[in-house]
Amino acid sequence: MAMEPSILTSRWKIPDAHRIDVAMKHGAWATLPAALKMAPGEITQVVKDSGLRGRGGAGFPTGVKWGFVPPPEKRNGKPVYLVCNADESEPGTFKDRYLMWKDPHMFLEGIVISAYAIGAKAAYIYLRGEFGFVRRRVDEAIAEARAKGFIGRNILGSGVDVEVYTHLGAGAYICGEETALLSSLEGKKGQPKLKPPFPAVEGAWRAPTIVNNVETMAAVTWIVGHGAAAYREFGTEKSPGTKLLSVSGHVLKPGVYEIDMGIPMMDFIMDTAGGLRPGRKLKAVVPGGSSVPIMTPDEVARATIDYESIHEVSGSYLGSGGMIVMDDTTDLAEGLANLLRFYAHESCGQCTPCREGTGWMFRILKRVKEGRATDVDLATLKNLADNIHSKTICFFGASAAMPVQSWLKKFPDEFFGRVHRTGKVGYADVGAEPPGGDKPGGTTQAAK
Amino acid sequence: MPTVKVNGIEVEVAPGTNMIEAARQAGVDIPHYCYHPHLPVAGNCRMCLVDVEAGGRGPDIACNMQARDGLAIRTDTDNVKRMRRSVMEFLLVNHPLDCPICDQAGECRLQDYYMEHGQHHSRLADEKITRTKRQDIGDLIILDADRCIACSRCVRFSDEVTKTGELRLFNRTDHTEIGVFPGTRLSHHYQGCLADICPVGALTNKDFRFQKRSWYLRAEPSVCDRCATGCNIDVDHDHGEVFRYRPRRNDAVNKSWMCDFGRLSYKRLAAEDRILTARGPEGAEGVDAVLAGLAAAVDAAARDHGDGSVGLVLGTRATNEANWAMLRALRAAVPGARVFLVEGNDPDAFDYTDDLLVHADKNPNTAGVRLIAEADGAVGDAEALRAALADGGLRLLLVLADDVLARLGEVRRPEALAFFGTWANATSEAARWVLPLAAAQEVEGSFTNFQGRVQRLQPAIPAAGDSRPGQVLAAGLARALGEDALPAGAAGVFHDLAANVPAFFGLSLAGLGAEGALVHREPPTEQVAPPDTRPAP
Repeated sequence: MAMEPSILTSRWKIPDAHRIDVAMKHGAWATLPAALKMAPGEITQVVKDSGLRGRGGAGFPTGVKWGFVPPPEKRNGKPVYLVCNADESEPGTFKDRYLMWKDPHMFLEGIVISAYAIGAKAAYIYLRGEFGFVRRRVDEAIAEARAKGFIGRNILGSGVDVEVYTHLGAGAYICGEETALLSSLEGKKGQPKLKPPFPAVEGAWRAPTIVNNVETMAAVTWIVGHGAAAYREFGTEKSPGTKLLSVSGHVLKPGVYEIDMGIPMMDFIMDTAGGLRPGRKLKAVVPGGSSVPIMTPDEVARATIDYESIHEVSGSYLGSGGMIVMDDTTDLAEGLANLLRFYAHESCGQCTPCREGTGWMFRILKRVKEGRATDVDLATLKNLADNIHSKTICFFGASAAMPVQSWLKKFPDEFFGRVHRTGKVGYADVGAEPPGGDKPGGTTQAAK
Repeated sequence: MPTVKVNGIEVEVAPGTNMIEAARQAGVDIPHYCYHPHLPVAGNCRMCLVDVEAGGRGPDIACNMQARDGLAIRTDTDNVKRMRRSVMEFLLVNHPLDCPICDQAGECRLQDYYMEHGQHHSRLADEKITRTKRQDIGDLIILDADRCIACSRCVRFSDEVTKTGELRLFNRTDHTEIGVFPGTRLSHHYQGCLADICPVGALTNKDFRFQKRSWYLRAEPSVCDRCATGCNIDVDHDHGEVFRYRPRRNDAVNKSWMCDFGRLSYKRLAAEDRILTARGPEGAEGVDAVLAGLAAAVDAAARDHGDGSVGLVLGTRATNEANWAMLRALRAAVPGARVFLVEGNDPDAFDYTDDLLVHADKNPNTAGVRLIAEADGAVGDAEALRAALADGGLRLLLVLADDVLARLGEVRRPEALAFFGTWANATSEAARWVLPLAAAQEVEGSFTNFQGRVQRLQPAIPAAGDSRPGQVLAAGLARALGEDALPAGAAGVFHDLAANVPAFFGLSLAGLGAEGALVHREPPTEQVAPPDTRPAP
């Protein structure tokens, strides 16, 4: 069993760690005074050196993102904003909710440090609409921190001002996308905006804005407190540090785990997450939130949990770390129809392919599930997904297309077995290997 | 100036040009729905997806791609064809396809692009999603949300142009539905523009709906005559009848817009108060007979009471040519005639002004007449006219186009009044001679708008009844007065005008182009001869 590191979760098991007095006895807010003595550029450099990659899902290097904020003379007098993305809307993902609930001071400290580093005087925490109870806890923590002088004007006598606000969304999946989040924060309908301009140049209220995930903020606290080198002792060369995984589905111990990146995925599922129910076999794993391509047991066996390995082995992504494990009792046609019902409900309705295509894909999958479809529908489904993927303003189109493409490709029998065969369509028409192929992949796995 | 390539064709464009416009300059049409040159870029229809050959990553949308050196795009690849076919398919999945009963048919981008880029067979095996049809959302607009393709042009128009923000795309996903906020209606005076910019049949113009299939219409470029802005328009007509005005793009004047007052003013061409026949003291007569009678009266007044007993009021509602020809005719025959310019709005002008397009001055040619008056050097204003009427010295007054009696208010009327006008009014009622003046959309000529932009009129339909262009009536009057040397064609009159009015030096009617030409603010010190573009006699 892999050793579980505990750098982001160190206070989770301490009772009442969300209270500032308890948290401070165990190291909370101890990094901020030192950070305020550093120059903002030094902090950015430490974060760059740590190799920390954004934990929201895209994995973009955090320090590099901070570097995109234009220098003061190029801001047209606009302020800089920090926005903490606590929307956590990706199905299967619930790590940020735990982080904010168990130890809000960990990420709040990171927010204040990051705001200082990028020159922001205001930071907004955008929480999803269902997180009202989390917001109350975070608001309490902010009030406690303000009372101690960690948040507000002239923090700890340093002359640095950082105000932190929470904002509750209305529960739209798309508001986890950073530009849609900013639209919503501005009081508009939560719809993604065209890039360029990127938020770091023109974001909230057309001012330079850095949007970082909750876990990223918590990691910044640890990195600035312990140094880039210490952080790089965890993880791999390209995926340094630890990662929070939220595991759900057919494992005996679902929950949130902090792992050292680079550990074997199968070990994590079978040991850390408690393994499968007795007598069950692994059918599939969605490793990083519902949008990422599905993995076969063979791919799971060959992958380690980091950004590179998952993609190399399976074409999938570590994403948000929302891992969904499915055993051999799972009906994948039912599962994919369920997923597409979600995407068809959540498309913001802006771009033509996504607006019209997600609903269409869902209606086809509903017929597949109910046995009212033909193999021609499967080919249409695959083609629609191809026509949506990367043809839209934001990544939602790809997010809805990738499950369709990958589930059909890797588990074609699950779908061909549910439809009327006209003979006009073969496995190749849904992007899959023909049955009996000896290449490792879904077909052979599903057939086992 | 960045140089870009479109399908291998190199083109140099202004900085900030997007690739749809750059392609247009290279002669390549990139299909689009949501992009509009006078609205912010939304990038949602995805019809303009192109392949990027060099200088970027693709495929990407051309509307949000700024031209920069080294950028090369292709629109002729199989991939682009596939993407267009796919977007067309998605657009039509939940579209009702009710073209036979849709008033947009014939000028619908869905139809046009589907013929060019569609796949011509349906893969849809499921039920279509339907939305609300036939909603009355404004004085001029019917909304059919079922036909909407959610391009958001109308939303951006109401947000960014009229700044009234009544329209929104409500809901999400394929249940996205365009509409106005509950309990509200469109509240601005540019509603017709919504029907213009809607690329499909979702927003149609109540006034035009079901009046004519668009393919029967022919368009003639002209200029709106309802205020001093002079919005450029296309006059859509068939068999001598005008069915609608549509704004014609002119970035220097009206961009792609026009107000509803101007838009609906086409009805005035066939209005009941049109002056269609000439009238003299004996009642209706032929135009020539009335002109002869008037000429005799002019001669008699000048002979008996001196040149100063005859007067002319120039018309802010008449063309440059009509004004110049009348001035020339009278000055030639009666050199000492008194000439006036009475500014102001007529009672039939609409009562609305804004800072978008609708000018407070509701006359199309005030600026032009001012310049003519300035060049003449001896044109009196309303006060001068009042004084001349009060002392009784002015016995015979010729009035061009404007309702001068209404503009002057309580005033001593001249012994005899002649009115050259298009619509009946207080002045025509009081006139002894009435000559029918053709409307702006029926004549060759020009107006000078408030910016000093001289804009060309071209006849869309024949002049109604016996009405004639102002310069023709003026030449007829001149002939009756014994002056035969004056030109009667618009180009000839303009040529003469440009040779004599400094602000017009160097301009010619044919040379005005589609966007007009500015008069000289500081007149050139030496006379610039206008190019002679008059048609051969």
